[in-house]
Amino acid sequence: MNRIFILTPLVVLLVICIFSLVYLLSGKDPNKPPSALLNKDVPIFESSSLYNSKDIIKTKDIKNKKTLINFFASWCSPCKIEHPLFFEIRKKYPELYLLGFNHKDPPSDAKKYLEDDGNPYDFVGVDSDGLIALEFGVFGLPETYLINEDGKIIYKFMGPITMDILKNEIEPLL
Amino acid sequence: MSSLVGFLSLVIAIGINFYLFLSRYIFKFKKQKFNLFIRLSSLLTLLSFFSLMYAYVVSDFSNYNVFQNSHSNKPLIYKISGTWGNHEGSMLLWLSILSIFSFFFSFTKNIDKSFQRLTLIIQSLLHILFGLFIVFTSNPFLVNSILVNEGLGLNPILQDPGLAVHPPILYAGYVGYSIVFSIAIAGLFQNTDDEWLYVAKKWSLISWTFLTGGIALGSYWAYYELGWGGWWFWDPVENISLMPWIAGLALVHSLMMVRGEQAIKKWIVFLSILCFSLSVFGTFLVRSGILTSVHSFAADASRGIFILLIFFIVTGFGFLVFLLKEPKKSNDLNLLFINKVSALVINNILMIIATLTILLGTIYPIIIEVLYNKRISVGGPYFNSTVIPIMIPGFLLMSVAPILSWQTNKINNSKKYVLAFIVLSVLVLIQSYFLDFNTWGFVGLLLGFWIILASIIAIFSSYKIKINIKFFKIINPHVAHIGVGIAIIGITCSSVFQNELDFNLNEGDKFIVNGKTVLFEKIETTNEINFQSLRGKFLFDIEKNQSKEIEAGKNYYPVSKMITSEAGILHQWNKDIYFILGDQKNNEWFVKVLINPFVSFIWLGVIIMMYSGLIAVSRR
Repeated sequence: MNRIFILTPLVVLLVICIFSLVYLLSGKDPNKPPSALLNKDVPIFESSSLYNSKDIIKTKDIKNKKTLINFFASWCSPCKIEHPLFFEIRKKYPELYLLGFNHKDPPSDAKKYLEDDGNPYDFVGVDSDGLIALEFGVFGLPETYLINEDGKIIYKFMGPITMDILKNEIEPLL
Repeated sequence: MSSLVGFLSLVIAIGINFYLFLSRYIFKFKKQKFNLFIRLSSLLTLLSFFSLMYAYVVSDFSNYNVFQNSHSNKPLIYKISGTWGNHEGSMLLWLSILSIFSFFFSFTKNIDKSFQRLTLIIQSLLHILFGLFIVFTSNPFLVNSILVNEGLGLNPILQDPGLAVHPPILYAGYVGYSIVFSIAIAGLFQNTDDEWLYVAKKWSLISWTFLTGGIALGSYWAYYELGWGGWWFWDPVENISLMPWIAGLALVHSLMMVRGEQAIKKWIVFLSILCFSLSVFGTFLVRSGILTSVHSFAADASRGIFILLIFFIVTGFGFLVFLLKEPKKSNDLNLLFINKVSALVINNILMIIATLTILLGTIYPIIIEVLYNKRISVGGPYFNSTVIPIMIPGFLLMSVAPILSWQTNKINNSKKYVLAFIVLSVLVLIQSYFLDFNTWGFVGLLLGFWIILASIIAIFSSYKIKINIKFFKIINPHVAHIGVGIAIIGITCSSVFQNELDFNLNEGDKFIVNGKTVLFEKIETTNEINFQSLRGKFLFDIEKNQSKEIEAGKNYYPVSKMITSEAGILHQWNKDIYFILGDQKNNEWFVKVLINPFVSFIWLGVIIMMYSGLIAVSRR
């Protein structure tokens, strides 16, 4: 009986160390909280196309297809960095629906940006007042979300995606 | 150059400790020589630390650490404190303090020499572990590969006189427990007599006093610098300092039992190991970046794993020795319904439960995130509703505990105490009823006043009053408890009866705070050496001739592009009036005023506790 008492601290120590080690090795960064929206339904939105204000996209339009949502703006230089990767994705996964949200941007600037750098998106929605970004809990541009066929957010990335992130984090989910 | 000196002396000091550690089994040292080597290694470690400080003082940006964390425009005091205002430097400070403790311990008299050597060998082992950690993962002496004329500055929130002294004092507390740890382990190995208990008591009191001071300074800093109007937030970083503090308190109290020849050696050894383990665990949590706070400088997984390993080795080693070398059976405890032994045992049990409760709340988010990948946060509500109720019976007991007898159930003058308690309860109840009644407020005030009153009754009825040092030593436990009582009153009033007022003001507006008219005079911006300041100037109580000026505002630090808030506090003996300047909207400034009653009592209580800690060191 006495021995068990004396063993307890060692057991507690082991448990604490194991959990701490797993935490450290998992590469979690307490500065980057997991999105509260993860595994939740995609927020309800409605947005008109950049090119035709009568062309409207709604939440139900992306049901039953895997969708990658990317928030971007012409004034955002990190967006420019990740931009070419969307062409890669486009080429590799033609089934994937690419939805871009143009965030707080004058339409003329946005159009020029997509003309110069190319338009990889299936649909470019306008989010001129940033309300859609608010619904998605966008922290800063760019941000990218992956939505599955059931309309659930299964992945979120803050900042420009890179080849590594595409390979290691996004592709396994596709 | 200074970096080279610093690095070399650091490495040589580690080498000496290696040598000493091996020497126990390979070479045979003369005692004198052994102590000489310990002192040499301590001095070298200090030399290393001061070399780094020198590099900071002369702004030697060829040192990468200085380049990263300092700036030539900084005032001298913050250049000096910049030495430990970063991860690498603070670890070197940690090691230096470890050395200082070993240094002084090597001078301890009236202790068995071989016991002293064994203790120092264990200190050497700790020195090696932390020394290697610094050399391999956190070297503050790296050379800057580019030639620069200016540094990158220091976290501006740390540019504060309180914080310049907070880390060294807090570390003196944390690291001081290393000696207690080493003594306890040595005590397990050389299970001869009980003399080491007295030595352990002295050192654990020293550590505890430093730790109290360190925590209080940090807390005071949070009070006036963070601008939230509170002084304790159950932040993980605060929790990890509170755990060794409470465990240390339990240790000090259980060491008291040595005087009644009732020491439970096993328990004392356990607490000694626990205190230092909690200190190292705290270092791990903060330094690995698992917790985010003003204290985590840079998250780096390799560092985290290294400290985790140290924590595992130290704690595992400690508890393993504890398991294998059980202390010989102590005397049976003389447990009665209410005597000193039972009071101390109850106190220890409560303190350990409180420590474990805090530990659980602190690591729970880590466990949940690993298991469920969910981020949760455990904060004030959990700790307030668990830790405080656990402590209440202890607070009740501590009022009379020092005068209880070792042998019998009898309390002298028990009628006096009962009468005093009843009168006090009625008074506090009436007082609470006329102010706004609050259960916690009532309980807190009653406890605080009861502890003070009972301690005073005890002093006057149990001892002959004399004004000399011996008398102050005798009544010291009561004095310490009066300090606790005063702090409890301060804590209760400032948290339960805090009053908050919000205003939207233009310059020149008048408003009423606490029945006094306050003038929002003007907004002023000035350029200081290393920051720009924005200050709202307020004149408190303008109807009187001697109205007091209060300044509240923000500082902007261009080098690190950070804004810090600077609360304006008007200190009065019975309350602090705490001004926070918010943002400007539609030409109006948002101003928040908090009235914190009796905050000064917290600091007064802490000072009394520290005083008692020091007095107790000198008492055998």
